[in-house]
Parts: sequence; C-alpha cells; structure tokens
Amino acid sequence: MGRQTVALVIVLLTLVMVWEGVKWVGGDPWFADSNPWGIEHNPPFRFKFASNLNLPHVWDIAAAFGKASRRNGPPLYEILWYASLFTFREAVTGFVLGGVLGFGLGVVFVHSQLLERSLMPYIVASQTIPILAIAPMVIIWLQAGWVSVAVISAYLTFFPVTINTLRGLRSPDPMALELMRSYAASPWAILWKLRLPAALPQIFTALKISATASVVGAIIGELPSGIRDGLGGAILNFNSYYISGPERLWATILASAGVGIVFYLLVVGVEWWVLRNRAGEVSA
Amino acid sequence: MDEAIVAVKGVNKVFEGRGGQRTVALQDINLRIAPGEFVSIIGPSGCGKSTLLRVVGDLVEPTEGEVMVAGKSARAARLAQAYGIAFQAPVLYEWRTILKNIQLPMELRGFSKEEKESRAREMLALVELADFGGHYPWQLSGGMQQRAAIARALAMRPSLLLMDEPFGALDEMTRERMNLALQAIWQKTETTVIFITHSIAEAVFLSTRVVVMSARPGQIMEEIGIDLPLPRDERTHQLPRFFELLNEVRSSLRRAEGVHDGA
Repeated sequence: MGRQTVALVIVLLTLVMVWEGVKWVGGDPWFADSNPWGIEHNPPFRFKFASNLNLPHVWDIAAAFGKASRRNGPPLYEILWYASLFTFREAVTGFVLGGVLGFGLGVVFVHSQLLERSLMPYIVASQTIPILAIAPMVIIWLQAGWVSVAVISAYLTFFPVTINTLRGLRSPDPMALELMRSYAASPWAILWKLRLPAALPQIFTALKISATASVVGAIIGELPSGIRDGLGGAILNFNSYYISGPERLWATILASAGVGIVFYLLVVGVEWWVLRNRAGEVSA
Repeated sequence: MDEAIVAVKGVNKVFEGRGGQRTVALQDINLRIAPGEFVSIIGPSGCGKSTLLRVVGDLVEPTEGEVMVAGKSARAARLAQAYGIAFQAPVLYEWRTILKNIQLPMELRGFSKEEKESRAREMLALVELADFGGHYPWQLSGGMQQRAAIARALAMRPSLLLMDEPFGALDEMTRERMNLALQAIWQKTETTVIFITHSIAEAVFLSTRVVVMSARPGQIMEEIGIDLPLPRDERTHQLPRFFELLNEVRSSLRRAEGVHDGA
C-alpha cells in the first residue's frame, strides 16, 4: 500500500510538471505576482492551447477552490462539495438500479438461452444509442427530477454488469456443475451456492467499471434536465463564464473526477472485503 | 433376489455430433457389482469409461438399456444421494473452507448445524485432514485437496462411491500414498467403489475386480478378479501374485487396443 501511494504521488507530480512545463515553454508570460514563487519568465513560444485561458496554472486552479465564484457567495469548494454530494446520490442510485437490472438480466439469461438470444441484440443496440439523445426524453417521460437522472445513469451502468454476470455465472467448471447434479441440487441452490459465488470476481470487475460510468451518466443526465444542484449544473454554469474564470471549470472537472475515483475506491473496498479469502489478490 | 448394488443391463450410449455424425461411446455394457466390491474400470482413452461412470451416476442418460443403483433406478438413486462422486480434479469451491466444502452435500439436504459440523469433522479425520478444516482449498497441496474431495464424497455415507481418475493429476509418490489411504477408507467404510483409472498398478492394487474396456465402441473386453489378500499395504506391491495380475491386466489391455487396431 505504501509503495502504491508513493507511485501515485510520483504520477501526480509528473503530471503537474508536464502541465507547467508546457506553460513554461509556450504559455503566457509568468509575472511575479501571479505565482507563489514570484517567478518572472517569458516563455520562448506562444502555444495557443497553453495560454492562461486554455490551460490555467495549477496553483490558480487550486486557489479557485477557496475563492467565491460569485460576489458575496460561498467559496467554490463549498459549492462543489454540495454539488458532488448531489451528483453522488444520483450516481449511487443509478448504480444500484443498473446493478440490480444488470444482475437480474444475467441471471435470467444464464437460465434461458431463448431469452438471451432474443433480448441480447436489443440490449447491445441500446448501448449504441448516444446517451445524450436519450437523456432529454427520459427527463420528460419520468418528470422525476434527480431520480430521472439516476435512471439515465443506470442506463449507462447495467450493460457491463449484465455481460460480466452472465460470463461469471457460466464460469463454473462442468465438473462443479456435475457435482451439484449428483447432489440433486435445485436450480436455486446451484445459483446461490455455485454460480453466484463463482461469478463474484467478474461481477466486481463490472461494478468497478459501472461505478465510474454511473458518475459520468449522472453528470450527463443533469445537463438537459435543468437540474442545477449537481456537478453537471456546475459544469454548465462555469462553462458559460469560462472567459472570466477558466480555473473554476477546471476545478469542477477535478471535483467530478474525484467523485468517480471515490466511488471506484468504495467498490474496490467492498470487493476486497468480499473476496478476501480467495486465492490471488484483488487488483484495483 | 437381486444382490447387486449396481446393475447395468444392455446399456448403449450414442452421442450425436453437430454434423449428424454418431459416436458410439458405450456398446452393450453389462455389469453387476456386489455390495462391498472395489471395481476398477481401465481402458485406453476414449473408451467411454468416464461415460459409463456418469451413466451409473445418472449424470449422463444412456441411449438404451437399464441402470439400477441400490435397488432403485439410477435417477432415483441420484435423487436419494445414494452415491458420492470424486472427479479428476478436486472441484472444491474456492470460496469455502475445507470444512464448509465437506458440509456442502449436507447443507443441500438441510442437516442441522451440529450434524453438519460433527460429521464433517469425522470425515476430515478419516482422510487425515483433521487440522485443515479451516483452510481454504488453495492453501492445500493437490493431494490434500483430493483427500478433501473424497471426504466430501463420503459425507452422506453413500453405499456407493464413484471415482473418475481421482489421482490422475497427482505425482507418483503422492498417488501411492493416496492409494494406501483410499484402501484404508474403503476397508473402514465398507463402501462399494467404482474407480476409473489409467494406471494398471493402481487398478490391481486397489481392486477386487478389474474391468477392461476397449475403445470405439466402448465395450467391456474382460473382467479380471483380483485375489490379493486384504487389507493391502506397501507389502502388497512386492507379492509375486501382484506382478502376475499386473501382467494379466496389461496383456488384456493390449488385446483391448489390438481389437481396435486390427479393425
């Protein structure tokens, strides 16, 4: 764990250095009062993408968290904290809905080839439809505010769970199934005592994908819904004021990424706990 | 009166392939096994010996013929858990401890907690794994895993034990130790055993009767009674009669393969 943390810090530092390095080579001039170290520097080139508007300084983004985003308003970190909680609630709800639906479909399909063959093409097709096209319709149909957003998030979540659940439920060795048959075990017992435990590692793989996807789904779902309380709303808002404060959008992006990472790590934690007695380590 | 615990009468098994080609796995199999016998079935690969075992266990349905186990149809016997089975691989569930693995068949029958616990402990002691009940399968060696699988097969105190090359994947030394252990378990539990194997020495050492099969179609070629004294142990390997029987089974196997080659 210690080594992993060190590696993570090194990667983050490298990213920051590449970011600022690009700005050193081709960004806007550095003024003494615009950076914490009072460095004056005139970069030899002017890359358009590395201007302060397109690629704000890392410390400016960091500082933006502490500043009020509108006059006399609360500091940005407070706004982003509540927005993150709001979006997280949508994402978790969507994740649970999508997870249950995905798991249920996997269980049904493992027991019925007919249903699998007849429904699977539509499920695959559903995933090729852009979520942005569906989101406004779901919002209008359901008229349910953040719950509609959770449904959109579930839409993005269930597919990997279905596929991996199905694969996992089919993973037991033929002999393990024969063993159950020799015990005259019911399909129900085979599902709970053999197929499901055997499928857990693959289900968790899907849940890790779905955890981050559900956050993306929730943010996208907020965009056409008129919901302004979440990260999607914040992104829209700071996007329209980009010229006057690009750091705020970047800070919001960082917050969004943070929500996804936290959710992911939560799932990894549960996975570790559930699979702690299995051979081979759980990989994050 | 029918004294046999296993009676296989006129069994044929034909597998239909995708392109409509038919593979005759078993042809006109007749086999009667008396209670307490240890019968090994030996033959070249693809002779249908595993299929025969699965027909007895009602895991594969015969195309024709009749199978009786413990006085019932093979199906009724399976539903009554009249037999225990062990496969080439231990097939222990990796998410269960050894003790919980052995409890699985009892769990499915709704045994009480105490009954499960005490009987699983008893079975563990029988296969000399008493200290390993709390371990997970991956923490045990291959031989220990296979012993746990045998304990699980015996957990319901079946009158019949079906074993499909259970020691095939083990190294020679472990295999010999497992043979000794199985021999002792068989004597102690007085279970009837049907044992599939590739190894002539294993078949002769363990069995009271060796059934030799030939391949394509799978047929019973010959049955050789093994009259070595019981109980058998390390010294059995040195008996002149052991070598005679070894040779007898070997030449029978050769004839079994010859039938196929000459055809």
